[in-house]
Amino acid sequence: MKIAIRMLSIATIILWIVIILFSVTAVYSVMNLGINLGEVQMLPSSKGITFSFPFSITNNGYYELADLNLTTRVTDSTGTVLDLTETFVPSIPRGTNVNATHTFPIDLDAILSMDQVPLLLNDSSFNVEFFAGLDFARAVPVQISTNATIPWGAPFAHFSVGRISVFPHNSTHGEASIPVSFENHAILDITGTLKLEFYTNSDEQIASGMTTISVAPQQSYSDRILVYTRQQDISKLTGSGNMHMIFETPVFTVEWWEPYG
Amino acid sequence: MAELNANFVTKTVLPRVLKATVWGTFTFVMVYYLPLMLIPQGLPQNILPFDYATQLIQFAAIAVFFAVVGQLFSGTIIGCGFGIARALVIIAYFFAVSDGGVFSVTLPVTEVTVNLTVDIRILLLMIVSVNLFDIAKNLLEAIALLTEKSTDIDLT
Repeated sequence: MKIAIRMLSIATIILWIVIILFSVTAVYSVMNLGINLGEVQMLPSSKGITFSFPFSITNNGYYELADLNLTTRVTDSTGTVLDLTETFVPSIPRGTNVNATHTFPIDLDAILSMDQVPLLLNDSSFNVEFFAGLDFARAVPVQISTNATIPWGAPFAHFSVGRISVFPHNSTHGEASIPVSFENHAILDITGTLKLEFYTNSDEQIASGMTTISVAPQQSYSDRILVYTRQQDISKLTGSGNMHMIFETPVFTVEWWEPYG
Repeated sequence: MAELNANFVTKTVLPRVLKATVWGTFTFVMVYYLPLMLIPQGLPQNILPFDYATQLIQFAAIAVFFAVVGQLFSGTIIGCGFGIARALVIIAYFFAVSDGGVFSVTLPVTEVTVNLTVDIRILLLMIVSVNLFDIAKNLLEAIALLTEKSTDIDLT
């Protein structure tokens, strides 16, 4: 019995020493972690916008950092997931430094193909959720999460169509001048062709026209677009109907409808 | 009779009280001052997600109390009972303080709110294990004491 008691005492003391040593060295290791977070950069890319988040971790502690996982989830104001990107660093052994960049692209074509026309015309915001997880000493999982709101500038903000003026062009056709204006609140240049198609309320196409536009970020566009219509359709054009806007760039095509008249 | 009492006090009670005082002081230094020294001075309170000073003094009070009573009643059934109680209180204390082993705190960092979750269930498991060993040891000690008493032959 006495031997058993003594063995249990020894085991208890050893386990307490292990716990205390681990706790002390773990606290020391965490205090000696060097985490440097770079500035989030928003860069235009061929498909849209790319957010780049550089960071470095210097592990001067006693224990390895394993399974470092950075995840970002971008959702629009309605909660639709626009992007889910993960960056994984399998291991940061003690005494080493790891530099990495978490990059998450926002594919403009994908956004616009998701019937996100309101994003074209109205300023909005994206919600970016950020999760980071790692296994400290492969024994203590740690998770950090946060979220931030990134403002979205609409490329065709305050889009408006003015009063249509019609002039005779020749014996068979009339020329209509349509004042169009908008502001480019996006960080990208709006360069491409803007095509206008005019339809009556009974979906009959009565006129069409096209122009090339190039608007730098934070600049306004205001111009008249000329369309041609048959003489017999001039009265329909000055009435009311729907205007089909088609904006084409080498990267993406967007289209939406605006009422006129 | 008075001589017998004085003898009991000087030979049994006084050494135990002295031993309990020394153990109490030693425990206080080990569980309060030493961890407090490990935390860097001048660390702003709001960096750590909990009030470590209060929790440290609570744990120190528990540890000192059981160290003192453990020494006062050492070698007795009551001492073994206090040993078991200490193990159970420490298990319950760590469970309560660590929210079952998963710390979850919300820290305001500049304009954003950061949620931090630390899973120390393995450490908690180790603490529970060591205290279960302690319970087993105290139970065996109690059984040994009772066995000794029941097998003692009083020849007077």
